[in-house]
Amino acid sequence: MTATKSNNPGRGPLTGIGSALRSIFKFLVSVRLTITVLSLIAATSVLGSLIKQGGTEEEYLALYPEKTYHFIKLFGFDDAYHSTWFYFLMVLFAVNLASCTIRRIARRKKGSGDAGMPDIKGLVAAGSGFSAPSMHKEEITRRIAGRYRKKTILDGGTLYEKGSLSRHGATLIHASILVILVGGFIGLVAGFKGFMVMHVGETGEKALLRDGKNTHVPLGFKIKCKDFRISFYPGGEPKEYVSTVEILDASDRTVMERQIRVNEPLSYKGVRLYQASYGKTNRFEFLVNGKKVLLGEQEVYSEGKTPFMVARFAPEVHNFGPGVMIAYLEEGQKPKTAWLLANVEKMRSGRIPGAVISLERIEEEYYTGLEISRDPGVPAVLFGFALMLFGLYVNFFISHNRIYVVDNGDSLNVAGFASRNKEGFREELKAFKEGLT
Amino acid sequence: MISQHTVLGAATILYVLLFFLHALYFALRKDRVMAAMWYVLYAAFAVHSAGIALRWAESYRLGIGHAPLSNYYESLIFFSWSISLLLVTMRKRLSYPVITFIATALSLFLIAYASLSPSVQKGIQPLIPALQSNWLHVHVITCFLAYAAFVISFVAGGLYFIRSKGIVPSGEILEEINYRSIIIGFFMLSSGILTGAVWAHYAWGSYWSWDPKETWSLITWIVYALFLHARFVRGWKGRRMAALSVIGFACVIMTYFGVNFFLSGLHSYAT
Ligand code: HEM
Repeated sequence: MTATKSNNPGRGPLTGIGSALRSIFKFLVSVRLTITVLSLIAATSVLGSLIKQGGTEEEYLALYPEKTYHFIKLFGFDDAYHSTWFYFLMVLFAVNLASCTIRRIARRKKGSGDAGMPDIKGLVAAGSGFSAPSMHKEEITRRIAGRYRKKTILDGGTLYEKGSLSRHGATLIHASILVILVGGFIGLVAGFKGFMVMHVGETGEKALLRDGKNTHVPLGFKIKCKDFRISFYPGGEPKEYVSTVEILDASDRTVMERQIRVNEPLSYKGVRLYQASYGKTNRFEFLVNGKKVLLGEQEVYSEGKTPFMVARFAPEVHNFGPGVMIAYLEEGQKPKTAWLLANVEKMRSGRIPGAVISLERIEEEYYTGLEISRDPGVPAVLFGFALMLFGLYVNFFISHNRIYVVDNGDSLNVAGFASRNKEGFREELKAFKEGLT
Repeated sequence: MISQHTVLGAATILYVLLFFLHALYFALRKDRVMAAMWYVLYAAFAVHSAGIALRWAESYRLGIGHAPLSNYYESLIFFSWSISLLLVTMRKRLSYPVITFIATALSLFLIAYASLSPSVQKGIQPLIPALQSNWLHVHVITCFLAYAAFVISFVAGGLYFIRSKGIVPSGEILEEINYRSIIIGFFMLSSGILTGAVWAHYAWGSYWSWDPKETWSLITWIVYALFLHARFVRGWKGRRMAALSVIGFACVIMTYFGVNFFLSGLHSYAT
């Protein structure tokens, strides 16, 4: 860069830009911005909890007048927590919090170093300390050192300290919020959330996202449902449901076999599989020209000359019990249908071109619903949680105490400060000279 | 075997007695009455705890053993118990007749509502699989301790506007009580939200899903965070802080009751 010099635009505009930048920075670190942004986040959340989220157009029109619906749509209130401006608020909040935190740390650095001796005599006079004859110095400092760290030797005295971490409590809390936001952001950018439905025996390798666009995300491995069990309480409520699954690698080798229960997900290669739901479907056992064939609803059997499928299932057909309507397709013709009834001997089988089909059994079969997610931000979020609780604890429940011991030759002055629990501190000071005569 | 309902009924009667003891104190202003009040409060707390323990034991006899923290009835009983717990453990700081009066009256209201309202299911229900987690205990306990602390803060904040000399403690004392309850409440609420998020992560595969109860607890948390900043960064005091604690408590009410009645979501089993 040789043009540096000629690019220098002179002082006037530079200070203009400089002061503009400075006022932007001032705005970004201001507590006023914090209050505004937090209030807006809270207000959006209120709206989001009152207005139905992620519904379809019909659902909204059933709930609200059309004008209101257009308004909701226009501002993205139908998906408030994922709307552009909610993200904007979050980013603004993060920037605000980050700049506040950085400024606090910088100020701490500048103002650190111990400010020297406070007015010990004044503290003693105010009741935050005491005087004792010098001969007790050893015993008193021994007692103090039992609970306090000796910090520094200042001009004319010694400083003992305890709980100095609590000065950093607010910084820890603020930093933890940033860590959580970063974790959330990572999850948003690099993660996904979807689900998968499987019958026993089926294998899946893609999760279906709930974005209404039928997007499938490959897992990078295959998962096979080996078993699904459900048990009920005597009252009929579900007690436990468990899927037994196998993870298969690219060459179909079994890598692991596990059970997935509610509250006990399976984690493999950064993807987590949760037992989320279950359901029942019917499976139909047919004899097709004497060969046993098992079909689900809408599943096409196409081995014979004429493909057919179970188009509909009815639990009760004109009081004759359960039955299915099969649909079959002869070449060059429109699909035709026929009813087969499971419990009526004469109506159990039918003839379609090229095959005799009979409906042998209808079985209810459970399928398992797995929630599938990948969220590389989770470790950061969990770390942020721990950091926040630690920071809150340190900030609110630990007192930063300082005790100064000054030797005046014939007498000793002991006095100090506490950031919290001042009465407790005075009691503690008193105890240091108790029993000394 | 005495049933849990009998024992909780006895606790309710003790809370009624506390109500009348306070009334008696306000009429006579005799310290002896307050001394007796504290004994009865300890007794009520002990009986209340025994009732909860019996319900716990009974769930095991029914073969569906779980801590009594899982439905609306149990949460009301536990809420009421948490308020008494705070009174008993912070006796030194909260020993003001108006404060114990309002707080025990709220305990009474909650336990009486739980047992008398026909819309509250009182039976012991089996736990659905999603609730079978140790996180349930930490989550519920921290949340209700937070709510109880916010009750105390609300009482102190509300009393700040009623400066009747003699009964109501001084503004300084009320501010101190208010602030202390809020830091306990804020710590517990944060723990409650975070343990809830960790649990959701294990049970549903997502630590935050903007379900109405989650959302309202976040709103509540933000309001109290604003409270703490107003005090520490802006140096707010007095009426404005008292007003903020009333607003914060309105959010608590919405989080606990409102969401169950007006909105639906993952937590709706709690009704
Ligand atoms: C919702 C998010 C936030 C939470 C939960 C939070 C929490 C806290 C807590 C607990 C304290 C300590 C109060 C005390 O001294 O006991 C504090 C102090 C403070 N916060 Fe925040 N904070 C948040 C956001 C922010 C933001 C965005 C800013 C930036 C403007 C900020 C600026 C400050 C300042 C300047 C202090 C005074 C710290 C001191 O004692 O020196 N806070 N905050």
